[in-house]
Amino acid sequence: MLRKLLKHEFRATARIMGPLYLVLLITALGANLTTRGLLATRYRLLDLVGVLLVMAFFIAIVGVCVMSMVVMVRRFYQNLLRDEGYLMMTLPVSIHQQVWSKLIVSAVWFAATFLAVMLAFCVMALDVSIVEGFAQAARTILQEITAYYALNGAALMGELLLLAFFGCCAMCLHFYAALAVGHSFSNHKMAWSVLWYFVFSFASQFLFGALMLLMDELPLLNWVGGLVAGWSAMAQTHLLMVLMIAGCVVYGAVFYVVTVWFLKRHLDLE
Amino acid sequence: MPVLECKGLTKRYGSVQALSNVDLTVEPGRIVGLLGPNGSGKTTFIKLANGLLTPSAGTLTVCGVQPGKESRAAVSYLPERTAIPTWMSAQQLLDFYGDFYQDFRRDAAEEMLEHLGIQPRQRIKQMSKGTREKVQLIMVMSRAAKLYLLDEPIGGVDPATRDYILSTIIGNYDPEASVIISTHLISDVEKVLDEVIFIDRGQVVLQSSVDEIREEKGMSVDALFREVFRC
Repeated sequence: MLRKLLKHEFRATARIMGPLYLVLLITALGANLTTRGLLATRYRLLDLVGVLLVMAFFIAIVGVCVMSMVVMVRRFYQNLLRDEGYLMMTLPVSIHQQVWSKLIVSAVWFAATFLAVMLAFCVMALDVSIVEGFAQAARTILQEITAYYALNGAALMGELLLLAFFGCCAMCLHFYAALAVGHSFSNHKMAWSVLWYFVFSFASQFLFGALMLLMDELPLLNWVGGLVAGWSAMAQTHLLMVLMIAGCVVYGAVFYVVTVWFLKRHLDLE
Repeated sequence: MPVLECKGLTKRYGSVQALSNVDLTVEPGRIVGLLGPNGSGKTTFIKLANGLLTPSAGTLTVCGVQPGKESRAAVSYLPERTAIPTWMSAQQLLDFYGDFYQDFRRDAAEEMLEHLGIQPRQRIKQMSKGTREKVQLIMVMSRAAKLYLLDEPIGGVDPATRDYILSTIIGNYDPEASVIISTHLISDVEKVLDEVIFIDRGQVVLQSSVDEIREEKGMSVDALFREVFRC
């Protein structure tokens, strides 16, 4: 059933994100005209057009990034907590499947947005030598890291991707939990949701700060510091990445439990 | 086995008691009217049967199980508001129901949509409010479910549409299944009902067959309703 939920979730969101990516690529083509010498002509009108095309390109980038966030929040809200919720929450699927379908699709669109922006920059540059230059620079950096630390740079990239995925999921779940709690109230549901978003933000920052202070006080941190002091820099980096991934997983898991609990036990559709 | 059974069912919203200690049983093959004035607890009861709300006390089972993933496969629910996604086309809506419900009779749904003159590529948002409600009803009644829960299916529509809705319900439900119709428009639904449940301020005040009401009390369900709920 998760597969079917994903199919319909992609169908619902692609109709918004697809045209946005198209607009982004069209504005990238416009910006390409500018980089190809629109600004270097003797005509001031063409200068103005060139500037406007570049501005449109950057506005499109910001727009696509903002919209991927808006779509993530709006789909959860409209599809599960508003009128469509009467249909979705009575499907023969579990709440877990509902939440995971939203999470996976949001994470995929975040990744697609990143790739679309990269592609748009390549289109803007168009000059193949510039694109090749970027690719060569990225390759060199990876090789340098691998050679310098004598460890696998690819593993680091994998960890970065995992961190990005779990980070996106945790961020989505923060929004979902606030919406689920806010919509368990009879009135002013959205106002409660916004309030709960800030309560969760404040609580997580407070807990993180308190944890740091506590670790500073305890001998545990010194003991761990002494243990890893003999490790190579790359091994320490891997440890740091693993800790950050684990932190994102715990952060997301707390919000996941809150979201599922409120959708299961305290759902109150209008 | 009863299609729906509840014992001591209670639902509170804060200090407000929406349902209080409700006991009732619905057997298969019955068309039951859940009748009561506005705010009597009809929608709360239907939401509880669908698992959209959690009881404060008591138990409720649908086809022998508590409301959840399993019971939802056996229940076809028509909410009182339009819940079908308006961005979908009629074709996509058919795909949606076909994907999630094994008992969905696509050919029956297509035939009814064609009868209404709805093109497969037409989007729900391009339809009038009345047509959207009809499309939603067609989807609900095209399932071969064990229990149909219809919340105010004829509320807010013109008399011709009411006739269409009632004939669609009668013409499409599985005779072995049960239908619960929640409404306060008694005279329109009376002719199709086997049984009635009167609900007032969250309590069941009467559960009886329509024939018993006519024979023993010598009056129509509509007349009895007016007498019981006289202001």
